[in-house]
Amino acid sequence: MDHPAVAEEDVPLLSLQAFSLARGKVDVLDNVAFELGRGQTIGLIGESGAGKSTIALAIIGLLRPPEVALRGSIRFDGVELTGLAEAQYRQLRGNRIGLVFQDATAALNPCFTVGAQLAEPLSRHLGLRGNERRQRSIELLESVGIGEAALRLDAFPHELSGGMQQRVMIAMALACDPQLLIADEPTSALDVTIQAQIMELILERVRARSASAIFVLHDLALAAQVCDRVVVLYAGQVVEVAPAGELFAAPRHPYTRALRACSIELGQEQVLAPIPGSVPGLEDLPAGCRFAPRCDRASAQCAQTPPLVSDGIRSVACWHA
Amino acid sequence: MNESTVPVFSVLDVEKRFLLRKGRGGPVELRALDGVRLDIEAGSSVALVGESGSGKSTLVRMLLGLDRPGEGRVLYDGIDLQQVLARDRSRFAREVAFVYQDARGSMNPRFTIGEIIGEPMRVHRLHPAQDIPRRVALLLERVGLPASVAVRYPHQLSGGQVRRVAVARALAQEPRVIMADEAVAGLDVSVQASLLNLLRELVAELKVTLVFVTHDLGVASYLCNRIAVMYLGRILETGPVDSILQGPAHPYTRGLLESFPRFDRPLRAPLRGEIPSPVDLPAGCRFASRCPCVQPQCTEADPVARALDGRRLVACLFPLSGEVAAA
Amino acid sequence: MPMATRRSALAEGWSAVWAQRSARWGMGIVLAYVLAALFAPWLATHDPVHQAVEASMQPPSAAHWLGTDSFGQDIYSRLLYGARLALAIGFGSVLLGMVAGVALGLLAGLAGGRTEWAIMRVVDGLLAFPELILAMAFLAVLGPGVDNLVYALALSFVGPFARTVRSDVLQVRAQPYVEAARLMGVPMREIVVRHVLLNVAPGIVVQAGIRVSIAILLESGLSFLGVGVAPPTPDWGLMIAEGRAFITMAPWIAGIPGVALAILLVALNLLADGLRDALDPRSGEAR
Repeated sequence: MDHPAVAEEDVPLLSLQAFSLARGKVDVLDNVAFELGRGQTIGLIGESGAGKSTIALAIIGLLRPPEVALRGSIRFDGVELTGLAEAQYRQLRGNRIGLVFQDATAALNPCFTVGAQLAEPLSRHLGLRGNERRQRSIELLESVGIGEAALRLDAFPHELSGGMQQRVMIAMALACDPQLLIADEPTSALDVTIQAQIMELILERVRARSASAIFVLHDLALAAQVCDRVVVLYAGQVVEVAPAGELFAAPRHPYTRALRACSIELGQEQVLAPIPGSVPGLEDLPAGCRFAPRCDRASAQCAQTPPLVSDGIRSVACWHA
Repeated sequence: MNESTVPVFSVLDVEKRFLLRKGRGGPVELRALDGVRLDIEAGSSVALVGESGSGKSTLVRMLLGLDRPGEGRVLYDGIDLQQVLARDRSRFAREVAFVYQDARGSMNPRFTIGEIIGEPMRVHRLHPAQDIPRRVALLLERVGLPASVAVRYPHQLSGGQVRRVAVARALAQEPRVIMADEAVAGLDVSVQASLLNLLRELVAELKVTLVFVTHDLGVASYLCNRIAVMYLGRILETGPVDSILQGPAHPYTRGLLESFPRFDRPLRAPLRGEIPSPVDLPAGCRFASRCPCVQPQCTEADPVARALDGRRLVACLFPLSGEVAAA
Repeated sequence: MPMATRRSALAEGWSAVWAQRSARWGMGIVLAYVLAALFAPWLATHDPVHQAVEASMQPPSAAHWLGTDSFGQDIYSRLLYGARLALAIGFGSVLLGMVAGVALGLLAGLAGGRTEWAIMRVVDGLLAFPELILAMAFLAVLGPGVDNLVYALALSFVGPFARTVRSDVLQVRAQPYVEAARLMGVPMREIVVRHVLLNVAPGIVVQAGIRVSIAILLESGLSFLGVGVAPPTPDWGLMIAEGRAFITMAPWIAGIPGVALAILLVALNLLADGLRDALDPRSGEAR
C-alpha cells in the first residue's frame, strides 16, 4: 500500500464521510460521518442495533460487498478503504489496525498456546523469527502487565482468567505497533475492578505509542472517562459528535440527553427516565430522523432527515437542537 | 407475633464447598461460601454485590432451598429452612418468588405467556380458574405490557419484555420475598432503567422484601436500601446503601466504588492484580493479595465481621475511617 | 383457556407440516395407503386368498388388474389386504415399543442413580443386537404369527426409544424452567407431565414417524425370510419372496408389491422429515 508523503499531519488518521452500509434494501448505517485525529481516542456509543459494531467491522473490511452494499467513503491515513481487496485488508488488520474484541474466550483459538497466537502477527507482518520473535512476545506480554511472561507463552487460553485473556488480546493487537486500535466492548465481559485495570492499560499503551483508538461502548460513563470525543449513534445514524466532557455535561441531541437521563450513577437519587418506546427493528426504520417516534421534541419537520451540523467543535443532527 | 424482630432470612455461618474433579492431584475443593452471616429484615431490600466467584448466586440458591449449606444454617422466620421445606414446601414456594437472570430460559417454551403467569395462581389455588385470565391481564398491565401478550410465546418477545413477564410471574404468586439474580443485566440502558423503575415501584407499593443479586453497584444503590458486598465466598461489608457509598469501611468496597465508571471523574484502577481462585484461597484475609492498605497481620488472621456503628458490619482488621471515596 | 391454546399449538404444528411441499406429498401418499387399507374389502376385486391354479401367473389384465401370482391369487386384492397388514404391524409395533420405551426412558431420566443405571444396562443389552436379529430370535422362540411379529418388532424398538427419551429428559430437566416450576411449588407429577413430557414429546413423535417405516420394512423382511407372517396371508414380504423365483418370466409378482412397499417407505420418510422440521423449536423461532 502506498503512503501519501505529503501533509500527513493535516489529514485525520481516519475519516468516514457520508458512509452508508446496506443489507438488502435496508440502510443499516445511514450517512455516517466522523473523523478521528492522530493520537485521539473516540467512542462509539448507543443502544443495541445502533450500528456501533457494524462501523468497526466495516472499517476493518470484515463487512464488505457482496454481503453488504457500501456507499460513501472511509479513508484511513489518506487511503480509501472501501473497495480494497481482501489481501490489502490483510496488510492492514493486525498490522496498522489492531483489534480487541469483547469476548477474548471466543477470539483466541483454544487449540494453540498464547505464544503461538502471539507469534502469528509478528512473523506475518514484521517477519520476526526464532529467538527474536520469542523475545518480542515476552516483551509484549510484559507490556500488558502479564507476569512470568516466558511461562505464559506456553499456556493455553483456557488456563488464563478472563482478564488475562483480554490482556493477551491487547498484546496481540499491539504487536505490530498499529496506528489505530479498534476495541469493541473490550471489557463488558469482565468484572468492574478488572474493567478499570484493562481500560487503563489500553489507554496507557495507546498513548505511549501516540496511536489512535476507537472504543465501541455501551456504558456512557466509561465512554466519558476513556474517550476524547464521542459519537452517539441511533439506529444506524450519527446523532451527535462532541468532546466527551461537553457531550455529557450539555447534551444537545434529545437522544443523547435521554440516554444520559436513563444511565444509572452511583447513589442515583433522581428517578431514572427511560426512553419511551423501543429501538426500531431493521424492517421498520422510520423515514427521516429515526429517533423521531420516541422523541419528546419531534415535529413535522423530523420526517426529513436532519443534517449533521457542525460548529467546528461539536456536531448534532437535529432540527430542534 | 412481632414481625419486625425476627428477620425473614437469617444466614448463620454458612459454608458451602464443591468438589471439583480437576487437574492431576485428584479432586479439588472449591469454597463457594465460607462463613457467611446475614440477616434479611422483613420489608428491606438487600443487594448482594460482588464480582465473579464471590458466591452471591450460591448464597441465593441456598436461601431458596436449592442448595443445602455444608455447614451452618439458614433460618426462615427463625425456623431452620430444611424444616420449613420438609413441613410445608408449598407455602414456602408461594411466599418466596425467584426471578432468573435467564428469564426466557426460565419459561417453558411451549407455554403461552398467559399460561406462564397463570401457573403459580393455579398451582397455589390463589384464584378460581375462571378468574385467572383476568388476573393475568391485570398483572401484564401492572408490568407495563399489553394484555395481548398473554397469547404469545416467550420466544416471540424481546429481552426486556421477557424480563417483565418474569416479574409478573413472580408477582402472580403474591410473595412476601422476591429474589432476583442479575435480573436487569445485559439490557440496554433505557430498557434497564424502565425495568428498575418498575421494580422500585413494586417494592414500595407491595412492601415485599427484595433480595437482589447484582454485579452493578449503581443498580444496587438505586434499587436497594442495604448492600452486602461479597468477595470470594465471604461478606466483607454490609450496611445501609447511603453510608456505604459515603464512607466504605472495607478497602475492597472502596475499590469497587472507585472502579465504577463515573461521569465526573477520570478513569482509575484502584485495585491491582487478579481475583484469586476460590480453589486455593490465600491464608489470612482473602482480599489481602489485592488490598492497597494491606498490613503484615492481614496475611495471618482471617478477619471476622465486626459491628462498626450499629448498622454496619465489616470484615477487616483495619477498617477505613470513612468519608474517603465519595467526597 | 389452556385447552384452546393447546389446540392452537397443534393447529400451528399441523400447518407447519402442511407448509412443506415434500411433507405434503408424503402425507397424501400415506393417507392414500391408509384409505386403501381401511376400505380393502370394498376395493378388492377378488378374495385375496382364493387360489385359482388355472389362472396362475397372468400378466395384468381386465380381470386381474395387476395380474396373478403362481397360485393364481389376485395381486391387486392381495396388495390392498397387504397394506392393511403392513400398516397395522408398522403402527402397532411402534406404538407398543414407544409406550414401553418412553416409560423406561422417563423413569431412567427422572429417577437417576441406580434405577437409571439398571434400566440403561438392560437397554444397552437390547441395543446390542440389530433390530432384525433381535426380532428373528424372538420369533424363533415364540413362533411365527402376526401378533408375535408385532411383539418382536416392538421389543426391538424399546431400546432406541428409551435411549433418546432418557437423553431428552436429562436435557430438559437441566433447563431453568423446570427448576423454576419446582421453586414455584408445582407438584412433581405435574412437572413431569407439563414441563418435561411436553418438551420431549416432539422428539418422540419424530422418532416414531421414522420407526414406522423401519417397522414395515423389517416386517416385510421377516416375512420374506419366512419367520414372519405365514402364507397364504396376504403380506408384501411374502408376495415378494414368492415372486422371486419367477422374476424373469413374471416380474409383476414380486415387482408390484416391491414398488408399493418402496413408495410407502419413501412417503413415510418424507412425512417424518416434515414432522421433524415442523416440531423443531429452532425452525419455530425463525418463523
